[in-house]
Amino acid sequence: MKTDIRALTGWAVTVVLIGIVAVGLFMGDTRPQDRAASLGSAIKCPVCQGEAIIDSPSPTAQAMMDIVREKVAAGETDQQIFSYFQARFGEGILLDPPLAGTTLLVWILPFLVAAGGVRLILSRRRPAEPAHGEPS
Amino acid sequence: MTAFIGSLAILVAVGSSIVLIAQGFRGMQQASRSTARHLKRPVVGIVGGAVVAMAALEFGILRDDFSIEYVANHSASSTPFIFKVASAWAALEGSILLWGLVLAVYIYTVYRGMRRTQGQDRLGSGALLVLGIVSLFFFGMMLTVSDPFRVCIDPGSVGCFGASNLPWAASLAALEGRGPNPLLQNHILMAVHPPMLYIGYVGMVVPFSFAMSALMLGAKGTEWLKRTRTWTLIAWGFLTVGIVLGGLWSYEVLGWGGYWAWDPVENASFLPWLTATAFLHSSVVQDRRGMLQAWNFVLVIATFALTILGTFLTRSGVIASVHSFSQSAVGPVLLWFLMVVLVASFGLFAIRVNVVASSPRLDSLASREGVFLLNNLLLTVFAFVVLVGTLYPMFVEAFSDQQVGVGPPFFNRMAVPLAFGLLMAMGVGPVTPYRVARGAIVWERIRTPLRLALGVAALAVVLRYRNHLLLIGILTATFVGFAILRNLYHSARTVSRAREIALPAAVVRTMKSDPGYWGGQISHFGVAVLALGITLSANLTVAAEVVLSPGESASVAGYDITYVNQFTREESNRSVTGAALDISRSGNVISRQEPRLNQYGASGMTVATPAVDEYLTGDLYLSLRTINPESVTLEVWWFPFIWMVWAGGFLAGFAMLWSRLVHKPKRESKPTERVTTSEN
Repeated sequence: MKTDIRALTGWAVTVVLIGIVAVGLFMGDTRPQDRAASLGSAIKCPVCQGEAIIDSPSPTAQAMMDIVREKVAAGETDQQIFSYFQARFGEGILLDPPLAGTTLLVWILPFLVAAGGVRLILSRRRPAEPAHGEPS
Repeated sequence: MTAFIGSLAILVAVGSSIVLIAQGFRGMQQASRSTARHLKRPVVGIVGGAVVAMAALEFGILRDDFSIEYVANHSASSTPFIFKVASAWAALEGSILLWGLVLAVYIYTVYRGMRRTQGQDRLGSGALLVLGIVSLFFFGMMLTVSDPFRVCIDPGSVGCFGASNLPWAASLAALEGRGPNPLLQNHILMAVHPPMLYIGYVGMVVPFSFAMSALMLGAKGTEWLKRTRTWTLIAWGFLTVGIVLGGLWSYEVLGWGGYWAWDPVENASFLPWLTATAFLHSSVVQDRRGMLQAWNFVLVIATFALTILGTFLTRSGVIASVHSFSQSAVGPVLLWFLMVVLVASFGLFAIRVNVVASSPRLDSLASREGVFLLNNLLLTVFAFVVLVGTLYPMFVEAFSDQQVGVGPPFFNRMAVPLAFGLLMAMGVGPVTPYRVARGAIVWERIRTPLRLALGVAALAVVLRYRNHLLLIGILTATFVGFAILRNLYHSARTVSRAREIALPAAVVRTMKSDPGYWGGQISHFGVAVLALGITLSANLTVAAEVVLSPGESASVAGYDITYVNQFTREESNRSVTGAALDISRSGNVISRQEPRLNQYGASGMTVATPAVDEYLTGDLYLSLRTINPESVTLEVWWFPFIWMVWAGGFLAGFAMLWSRLVHKPKRESKPTERVTTSEN
């Protein structure tokens, strides 16, 4: 009886804690998101070596960051802002490869490998009934 | 003269490598020729050649011998001592020489292992044959495309414009050297990070060579695995520490406020780390349960191939990065070597795998083996993601005119879920029994840690932190930490009761009773701390740009930053301009920080050095953008608990020492008593 109560309390505590965390996750971040900063981290600085414009102190990157801030303030969508830079610098300006065209494969290949791995692991399980003359 | 001695030493190493290949081959064929005695001379030749060559290069650099092209172009008389020492590996040819030196030391340790056993050792001979081939390749490069001892025949007033591979060519000394790349003479870590990384990187060649030897000999069983366990652990530990030091260097020197950018070069060091980590785990499964025999060969080959790929990526100039200093003929040579390694080793694997590997099947997915498989799946997919993301832009550019960008947003999106999965497996796996695990047992062992982790996450929610990644990160990382602590407490309590000793003594005894297992747990704990550090510093960063005139203050994350004045000073190799800043909290000045701009004489390049004010609760990171006596523009960050990233990383890496240096206590009594610490 005593252990029952203890177990029950344990479960109750777990459920309450899960509830709190779930509510937190559901409500999401209350802090305002800095859209310009997140866009700036997805656009490559064309004159630097593999840096995003948000991270680079170079004048070019700073100027591009200013443009991003202006466009965010003007209410343009992410896609509009990306397209603006893509039209001027080519597709390579984006650090976040689009889920289409040339870069579609980058997104798909890892999932194919993961699926192949899962299949391989499942095929290595011992069959439910003892197999006859298992080659292994 | 120095160049001549250096070239001669490399020639000796090349010759010895050829002899080692021949002797190793004979030893592999004939057991009577496979003792250490037969292999002594070539091993001594390689080690001697590598040590003398490195000593000659250091001697040339320290003596400012600008008749050697490498010294003239990568060092200067004004370079401070420590950076002179480091410039022996700061540029291409020297770094290849360091590769060779570390390889030579590993060859010597393999030879010593053979000498200690004294007996006939065909497996060891075969391994030395493979090591001889790798050694021939690298020292061969130092004679041809990557010669650190080229003599200068066209000197300039600064640096050298033309050089000859022939060590007897009439050399002319440049008046002054160019000095190291400014970024590489800015921080003491430059002297530490590359050797650490190379000890890890190159060390992967030892398990590879034994695996190849086992395949060639058709040697069944786990001998190659068991014999190379120590090398694998040491190499893995140093690689871990080397990568963390690289991140720390980037953080302390580059001034952009980060430590990891998914730069191709960082990825190049991370890739073999991922596969080596998978190998460390899957080799436990082979050792304990006889499974995954073929898979372990694949992982070892992949790890070694990835170290060669990494050397190619960093040293060939195919990617623009802080590590790729020069374009040279080294790239194609390394690429060819990579192809040969891949074709030869996977070819051999395909031919022999049925001879050497037979694997029993998995009893149940719900078992320790099952979680190990999950770990391997996640790590392999992780490695694949990093590989594809790194190489894809290069492939697209090579085969079409298009340029595509694959950067941090891609890697983060892929890596974060994988990392969460790995953390969950890390919390559950070590307390899951082998063969078949009943859910009730596992649940009994993880419920308390899980509740505690949920408690911490709930606390964060109540404190109004509701960022998804932050909450999931806190949940998974603390779960791992609590799970390890619970496991340790339970095992120690059992020991304490059985032996009637105090709990602290029982903890030590428990951890010594199974050093391999507990070394792994210490490492896991380090990873949990690292994960928590990444989670907190990445999601709770405060960033601000402030412009201050003298005497003016700005407040960031509760710290007041006051611009005191501008200062300048001349140092031997650079002129420094900086801002003196007073940092205060609630009115009291607690530190003086000096972010600076360094202008390097020879190159005229300006490099900003940030100031990092470190506290237990986080770092105040100050980076100088522009400065004049009237005003200063600063980029200021507050990174909470970022020390956890370094501390956790070092703990994870150095934990391998526990499993190698601690010896099991001798059983004094009660042979019937069994203390099961690993709960299997």
